[in-house]
Amino acid sequence: MVEKMKDVDDKMLEALFASEPLPDNGFSEKIVGRIRRELWLRRLTLPTAVVVGGLIAVKPLLGLAGALLNLASLVPQRLVEQTAGAIPSMPTVVLGAMLLVVCLVGARGLED
Amino acid sequence: MSERDDQELVARVVSLQDTAAFGELIRRHQSQVRNFLRKLAGDFSVADDLAQDCFLHAWNKLDTFSGSGSFIGWLLKVAYTTFLQSKRKSKRYAEILESAGRVADLEQRTHTAANEETGDLDRFLAVLEEDERAIMVMSYACGLSHREIGDATDLPVGTVKSIIFRGKEKIRNTFDIQDHKHG
Repeated sequence: MVEKMKDVDDKMLEALFASEPLPDNGFSEKIVGRIRRELWLRRLTLPTAVVVGGLIAVKPLLGLAGALLNLASLVPQRLVEQTAGAIPSMPTVVLGAMLLVVCLVGARGLED
Repeated sequence: MSERDDQELVARVVSLQDTAAFGELIRRHQSQVRNFLRKLAGDFSVADDLAQDCFLHAWNKLDTFSGSGSFIGWLLKVAYTTFLQSKRKSKRYAEILESAGRVADLEQRTHTAANEETGDLDRFLAVLEEDERAIMVMSYACGLSHREIGDATDLPVGTVKSIIFRGKEKIRNTFDIQDHKHG
């Protein structure tokens, strides 16, 4: 009996709270448009930052490269020949890089 | 329109960032979300702005939708959170409440309602606390189950039931509505 009476209350409240469905009238398009604009902005942000940063950095980088060339010309030829033997050969560098890649892939496999 | 269709659309949005699929989700649920926020905020234009923010938040957080409950339940949770955050940010709201009190709040809600038919509902809603109002609207206007309301408000189902009971009692007592329990 109480349940039945509760239903009457609930029906009264449901009728009171009921609303007509609201027409979309461009509401969804407006939001989708905003989302698409945001997506484009996000996609453009990194390339734009790289280009702007590159333009800003190009002059100091050229200056730095020039200074390094001048510095290299000051190093005695005898010293260059002595240190050349300490630099690893190309096959050693390639082997090291391959080992690094294998380790990274293995580590990722272990994590998964 | 089924829950399964909603979940397929959600999967498309999450995996492919498909804005057209998200547009379809908005078209399906905008009416319920806007009506929910209109009843909470009282002001239609504010509510529609909040609804836009709600869908933008939903777009950003859609990967957190687990699919265990209904999509509209999850969406109304986002809408309710958006409403609460907006209210916290709004100093003006606090000033109005402090300076004018709940009676003026009631008058304001009644006057700003564009639709005259909502006058009765506004008077009913005005006697409820904010959490009661949100839960009553979710239950009676949006048709959410107690469990879905619990998920949306982060409250236990028992608490949801008692808040609904309390809300009904308040409405009944304030407006002297005949108690149906006694015929």
